[in-house]
Amino acid sequence: MRLSDQMKFVRRNMKKNRLRVFMTILATTMGCAFLIVLASVGFGVHKSIVEEMTQYQILTEIRVNGKDVNNRYEPIAEDDIEKLKSIEEVSAVVSRVNLWGEIVAEYDERKANVSIILTDMKEELKAKFELAEGRVPEKESEIIVGYHFAKNLLTEGEQVERQSFYETGEGELPRGYVGNLIDETVTVVIAKQEGEEVFTEEFEFTIAGIGREPSRDWIEDSNLYIGYEYEEQMISAVYPEEVLAERQGQPYSEVFVYAPSVNEIEAISNQLKEEGYYVYSISDELEGLNLFFTALKAGLIFVGTVTVLIASIGIFNTMTMAVTERTQDIGIMKAIGGDPSVIRQMFLMESAYIGILGSIIGVAFSYAISWLANLVIPLVLEAVTDSRGPIEFTFSYIPLSLVLISVSISIGVAILSGLRPAVKATNINVLSALRREI
Amino acid sequence: MIKVENLNHSFFVGKKNQEKEIRVLKNVSLQINKGEIATVVGRSGSGKSTLLNIISGYLSATSGNIALNEHDVTNYTEKKWAQFRLEHLGFIFQSFQLIPSITTFENVELPLTLKGVAPKKREKIVQEMLEQVGLQEHANHYPNELSGGQQQRVSIARALITNPSIILADEPTGSLDSETEREILELIRKLNKEKGITFFIITHDDYVAAISDKTYELHDGVLKEGSVFHATK
Repeated sequence: MRLSDQMKFVRRNMKKNRLRVFMTILATTMGCAFLIVLASVGFGVHKSIVEEMTQYQILTEIRVNGKDVNNRYEPIAEDDIEKLKSIEEVSAVVSRVNLWGEIVAEYDERKANVSIILTDMKEELKAKFELAEGRVPEKESEIIVGYHFAKNLLTEGEQVERQSFYETGEGELPRGYVGNLIDETVTVVIAKQEGEEVFTEEFEFTIAGIGREPSRDWIEDSNLYIGYEYEEQMISAVYPEEVLAERQGQPYSEVFVYAPSVNEIEAISNQLKEEGYYVYSISDELEGLNLFFTALKAGLIFVGTVTVLIASIGIFNTMTMAVTERTQDIGIMKAIGGDPSVIRQMFLMESAYIGILGSIIGVAFSYAISWLANLVIPLVLEAVTDSRGPIEFTFSYIPLSLVLISVSISIGVAILSGLRPAVKATNINVLSALRREI
Repeated sequence: MIKVENLNHSFFVGKKNQEKEIRVLKNVSLQINKGEIATVVGRSGSGKSTLLNIISGYLSATSGNIALNEHDVTNYTEKKWAQFRLEHLGFIFQSFQLIPSITTFENVELPLTLKGVAPKKREKIVQEMLEQVGLQEHANHYPNELSGGQQQRVSIARALITNPSIILADEPTGSLDSETEREILELIRKLNKEKGITFFIITHDDYVAAISDKTYELHDGVLKEGSVFHATK
């Protein structure tokens, strides 16, 4: 028997009992929708937390905080940087030295108090240093300025205004410099005190790029990112000689190792740990978090499946009734040459049809409920908690994988619940059916 | 061709451990050649229907052999029987056995649908068949909208649609009035002559037996070959 004819039979049989089939499909729809919506909360919270974590740190980044030498902490030295670079999978090693002191950047009668970050521009380029504007420096005298550098570049009058705003809360914060800074020259004036005397040194740099806005709202980046070519001059300009003698060299403030993709992070991280480095990567943290949420999501899917199982009782009932009602038809079909396996297949198709229809409508409902939940719950929470800003949190998220899992469970359960009635149909005795004894 | 050898059938009645064996068929043997009409007459409870049900494959015999069109069908599985019925056999029942929820056309079409014939080809064959049995105007009627004679014609059309070489009929005129009975018997004779179909008919009606080439009488499970009613043919 052709599949199209089997489908025609199935559709005709279902039409005969529209209300009963509709109620069964409705039960399957509710079961499937409940399963998806329930699990979508797990997926939504997981997604929100991961997004929250990853927006502050790059997934392919490993922070190296120092190393263990004979159970003693040691900062990262220049040799270590070379060693880190030599690791095969590592795509870049960014090491930075932060300098704080009396450092003022001057531009067009405006001044800004800044910090200096010495870095290797080539490695920053390899690590894909993100810029809001401009380019990564190619010449020694070129630098990058932080995103908020222009905002802090104030005239003397604006500095007074700002001071007054912070002290009294009146007036407005000055906007700082709003024009173009790329390819403009800034003068960096560094002052240090040696005994009674104050020494100042001046450097001139060209701004090649402006860094990306920090992801955390409260961080202000007014730093100047300068190449290591100026290391000695900068350090001696910032620190008095006695301080320099005590420090015995300048330790790195931050060292980051970058992998080409997330896949290599674990291998690199393990290798660094084996070699005694203290490392931290967001991937390590995500691993534990993912494990927890995988278990949570599996639990929610399990609970949701119970609802689908309850709906399957309806399917079983509908199919059993269908077989009983069609006993004579089945008997006639078998009597004239109907293959028992085809008859079984048609009943299985009928229960699968209920499962498929219920699942499709269930998925559509789930997306609607999920959309509504993400729209309404934040509004309710904002009203209840008296939150100042909008709550940006995904409460319900339905990925394709969840749809596939839920639809498979719903259709699978529907087919399973139709199995026994289908077998019953196959085993109908022709003579009993023809005599209408069943 | 239908060949039955030493067919026995019995069943047990009564409580467990106190069962009594009822022998329905006792060493039944018969041979019906291609193109013959054979009837089996007998009283109610003589085992006629049991014999037909065993030959149709609806019931398994206790012992004996059955060959249909030179195929030994004695130990056929249900699946093999289904294929064999579609290829070789047509069935006419006393109570017509039409599916009430589908039309005349669809009832006649059913064996072709089960066989997997393409819809366009099916339509053509069914139209021709309905014309042959004079039911083309009732193609879209449901069985309960037809008279008994018309329903039996639908049943005959359904039996003939796959062009079988053997038709097994259980009291084909049992539910019909004498006028309609004559019409149906006329149709059976015509089909036998024109298409050379072998008919195996179970009946308790002498009028039916009269159209046959060979008549058997079944009495208490024992089959005997009876007289042939050539005069009325």
